Formats: sequence, structure tokens, C-alpha cells
Amino acid sequence: MIELPERTRRISPSRLYEILQAYDCKSIVDPFMGLPTHLNYLKRHGIAVHGGDLLEWFVRVGEGLITNDLTYLRDAEVAEIVEMLPGRIYSLDLFKAWEGVFFSEEQCVYLGVWYDNVRNLRSDQQTGLAILGLWRAFCYWLQKMQNPDDMQDTPPSELAWSYIRQTEQWVTSNMRRNTVRQGDVLSTMSARTGDALFLAPPPRNSFRSADARIWMWEAWWQGNPYFTIEHAYRDSLLGARAADAPSYARAIASILSSGDQYPVIIVQTTEQRIGEMEPLVRNARANVETIAPHPYEIYLVATK
Amino acid sequence: MTLFQDTGGDPRAARALVADVLAWFGAVGDAAMGNAPGFAPRKASLAVALAKTANLPEADWPALYFAGLLHAVGAIGNPAYRKGEALPERIARMESWDAPAQGARICESIGALPAESADMVRWQHEAWDGTGYPDTLRWTGIPRAAQFLGLADWFVRSHDPEIALGQIGLASGRSFNPDTVRTFTMWFHLSGGEVELIEAPADALRDGPPDLQTLLERFADRIDAHNGVDGRWRRIARISDATASVLGLAEGEVHALALACRIFGAGEIDEANVEDEAFDPLARLGVEHRARNAHAAAVLAQPFATLDGACQVVAMRSEWFDGTGKPRGLSRKSIPVASAILAAAIAYDRLDRGERIDTAAGTQFDPVVVRALMEAAKLRA
Repeated sequence: MIELPERTRRISPSRLYEILQAYDCKSIVDPFMGLPTHLNYLKRHGIAVHGGDLLEWFVRVGEGLITNDLTYLRDAEVAEIVEMLPGRIYSLDLFKAWEGVFFSEEQCVYLGVWYDNVRNLRSDQQTGLAILGLWRAFCYWLQKMQNPDDMQDTPPSELAWSYIRQTEQWVTSNMRRNTVRQGDVLSTMSARTGDALFLAPPPRNSFRSADARIWMWEAWWQGNPYFTIEHAYRDSLLGARAADAPSYARAIASILSSGDQYPVIIVQTTEQRIGEMEPLVRNARANVETIAPHPYEIYLVATK
Repeated sequence: MTLFQDTGGDPRAARALVADVLAWFGAVGDAAMGNAPGFAPRKASLAVALAKTANLPEADWPALYFAGLLHAVGAIGNPAYRKGEALPERIARMESWDAPAQGARICESIGALPAESADMVRWQHEAWDGTGYPDTLRWTGIPRAAQFLGLADWFVRSHDPEIALGQIGLASGRSFNPDTVRTFTMWFHLSGGEVELIEAPADALRDGPPDLQTLLERFADRIDAHNGVDGRWRRIARISDATASVLGLAEGEVHALALACRIFGAGEIDEANVEDEAFDPLARLGVEHRARNAHAAAVLAQPFATLDGACQVVAMRSEWFDGTGKPRGLSRKSIPVASAILAAAIAYDRLDRGERIDTAAGTQFDPVVVRALMEAAKLRA
């Protein structure tokens, strides 16, 4: 059975918004955005947001939640995602490698159907919304594997339908230009600018122990059940070259020094990692305020 | 002026006063959100019962209780619930997602509360699968105590415990952690689905700022902002206080009047219109409306001994001097002077020309009170 790790890091966008307000920031760049629901919150509150990530599915979701101001999915379009359509040819055994290991035969068939259907949607925004909705159905299955007797059996298409519909409720406009891009941290920082730089860097070597719910969905999006997240991180700044502690510290320091044009840098960390992170931030900026509401949620706010 | 009785340096008595005022504000929050009376204490008690069943550390129980008590205060002033806002449904829904975070900010500003309460309020509506609000946290990123609070909300909101049990079971792995649902099921079978109300753990409150009077005044400011009548209670309190001085009211009555000025606005919180907008303050047409608001404010304050004196003042402020008022048709001396002052001060605050209040002396208002009020107004001018 696959292990679903405990979350050891928390980003609270409502608290992040309070910090941005306190420092009078109207725009933010997040080059480690991950699943950009926090950026969606900030967007909803009028902040111009720019995100970047190495994993493509995060960026695709960003197109649905961040760059998308008004595109929804009609009922007929959702129906075309969640079920097999007559007359279309499907690669039903695309995810057969997961059968019996992570998922049932029926679930693997649906993963293949969804993979094909999502690629036939009319816009990137709709695709982003669908990917997020389907990911939630996928996570439900993985969770159900852990708690088979506690969770309801829901037909896959019904589950996907409800999650896609739920995802749409986050679509909103803030009358600002918001962007997402796929790329490494430094390229995102050089391509975008804002009042604040938000950094939630992954821990050292974390790609080796990434949450299955994250890397497996990238594998699904790539249509390759054998995909590993190390592919995405291989040539990145915090990838294999930053495997040892000094290299990792150098990589973080280089990010902080590249953020010189940002008036405010907010580094999100944890109690466990603050010892390695705080000296680097203090080395880069003269003024650092620590906001530590929880051991899992610490913000270092650095100004010039 | 000190609004509350002197506790003689007894910290327990002082904390009991704070607990009373917090519970009152929690009840006002419930009214703003449209919840049934008594919702917050039930939710708080159930959340604590679940925490006990799950063997959560005992230190978390008081924080969880107060988070439950104040779960809806973020609705007071939130654009989705505020008076005079006609937002499209989708926008109103998005605005309502901010209520927990706004509630957390209020809790953070109350130094007496256990520190953990604020974030329990903030994350009470987060869903296990990441579809909750405001922060869209997911999985174990949501503290267990906040999950219990959310589950308690769901259960207390339901009219039928058996149906709620079924619905909560279906939400396992979606809205709630399966372990949380298992805890709930265990509690349900042990207790028969009966929520046993527990007493507010006032001893767990701290001595942090602001002082109780400032706290109540901040709450009153927020209620006025919600009702779209910023600063109203302060103006009414000033003129009431001056009128009471002119009339030479006893100290106890002055205190009750001062408290009443700060709490009467709560009665308008779940009405479609505030009293100000609905009718001319001197017209008979608004008497039912005023009586309903007065009753609502009194009902909100009634359960709390700390606010008892003010409760009477508020309840009778819609009576008319000539006995044709509501709800009881009291007349002349049977209407407490403090209530008569409050009624006249509220009307006076609304009038474009203050002297117009003279026309209602002897019918709606006690002529002695009106004269004193006019004199107080002149002195203030």
C-alpha cells in the first residue's frame, strides 16, 4: 500500500495576505508555487500574482485558477471529461502498470479515459480546472485505499463530476494581470517582478520523498506511469546538485541574492528548518521579521 | 465610567465577566450568520466532547471551546452578511469564505483568549480534500481541533441527528479526515447523539488586553459597522449619559443605561433593515419594528448575568409614554427612566432637526426626559 505522508508544512494564504497588507504589497511572485490555491486566494483579494513551478500539472492548474478570469465548464463539457465518449479511441491500458498496485482495473481505465478527454478540451483554462478536479478524485481513491471501510464508494464519473464542478467556484477576476509559468526558480524570478517575492523552497532532497499524490499526478499528466519526479528536478537549482547541505545553502543564498529587486522577500519555513534558513535570510537582508504562529508555519519577512 | 461591577480583585470573577461578554458576542455572531439561538455553545460543547473522545491534549479543550463560542463572529461586518450589501450570489459566497479569517483576526485581538483559539476559528471550515475555505488547506495540514469544530458545525446545523450521522459518514475523506469521522461515530454511539452543554472554561482565560470595557466597545463598533451606522452607539451613549446627568439618575441606572447603549444595536443584526432606514423615528408606523429589535437585543443579552441590567433597559425601549407602545403597553412611570432615555436618544440621533423630538413629548416619550435631553444637547453644543 502506498504511504501518504503527514503534511509538515503549511501555507496559510489568509495569513500571507495579512503580511502583504502590513507591508503594502500589491503584487507577489512565487517561483515555488506548487498547487496554486494560495495564489488563487491572493488573486481573489486583489493581489497580482505570478507563479512558477517545475511540475507541469501545477502550471496547468495555475492556468485554470490564476490566469483564468472567467472560463467555466458547461455541463456538457464536464460530461465529455468524466465518461468515455462513443466514437473516440482511448488508450485504456495506459495506466495498467498501476493496476493492482495502487488502483483497481476500473480506476486505471478511467485514468486513461480522463487522460484522453482532458486533452480534447477547448482551452487551457478549462484544462486546468479539469486537471484539478480530477486530481481530487484521484486523491480520494488513494485515501480510500488507506481507509477502505470509512469512505463511500462513489462511481468514478460521479466523483470526478462533483470535484470538477467544485473546482469552478474558485474562478475569479481581480482585474490585474496574473501569470504562471513552468520553469526553475531563477528563471521565474527574472521573468516576473512584483512588490514581494514569496519563497517556500522545498527541503533538501525532498524530491526523493515527494508525496505520491503529487508525483503520481504528474505521471498521469505526462501519460507515463513510470515517470519519477527526479526527471523534473534533475537539472534544477535545488535538484541533485544541491544534495549536500553546503550546496543547498549556496543555492538558497543565490536565490535570495537574485531577489534583490524585490522590496520584500517572504520565506516560508518550519521550526525544524528555521535554523538553516534564518541565517541565509539575515545574510541577504538587513531587516528580518519572524512571524511564527505554528511550528509548521513560520514566515521570515525580509526588507532592505 | 466603569461599566462593570467591581470584582474586588478576584481574578475568577473578572474572568467570568469576560466569558459572559465573549459568549454574548458569539451569540451576536450567530445572529449575523442566521444561526439558531444557542448554536455556538452547542457547537463548542460538541467540539470539546469530540476532542475528549479523541484524547486530544486537555490543554486544547478550553481553546476549542472558545473557538466554538466565537465561531461566527467573522460574519459581523463581512460583506456577505452586512446590511445594505446586494452582492451577486457568487460574489457573496466568495466573501463569506473570508468570515473565518476575519473571525480569527478578531480572536487574535482579544488577549484574554487562549492563543490557539484564533486559528481554530480560521480553519474550522477547511475540508480534508482541499475544497474548504478560507485557506484551502488539505489533509493533515488542517489541525485536528479545527476539524472537530467543522464537524460539530455540521452536526449542530442538522435537524435530525440520525441524518447528520449519515451525512457525516458520507463526507469521510472529503470534508473530514476519516479518523475524525470515526471519532465522531464513536461519540455518537456513546452519547446517543445528545450534545451535553458544558460550562465556559472561564478559568482558562488570560489577563491580556484590552480591558473588558474596551472589548465590549470594540464589539459595539463592529456591530454598528455591520449595520451600516458607524459610530451610532457612541453618539447615543454620549447624549444618554448627559441626559442621565441632567436627570440625576442613580449610579446603577446610569451603568445599566451605558451598557444598554452598547448592546442595543445587536438586535438589528439579523433584520433586513436597520431601524434607522425603515421608518421615521417619531412615527407610530415603526413601533412593531422597534419592538422586535428591542426584543431581539434583549434575548441575545438575557442569558448573561453581566448584561442583565442592560437587558431590561433594552427590552422596554420601545414602550411609549402614553401606553400605546410595544411589547407590553407600559406607560408613564412603569417605564424605567433608563429605557425612556435610550428610546429618546436613539430617535434624537436619527432626526435631521433635533428639536423635532419635542413633538413626540407626552405621547412617545416622557416630557421630562425630552426636556432633559434637549438641555443636555444644548450643554454639549
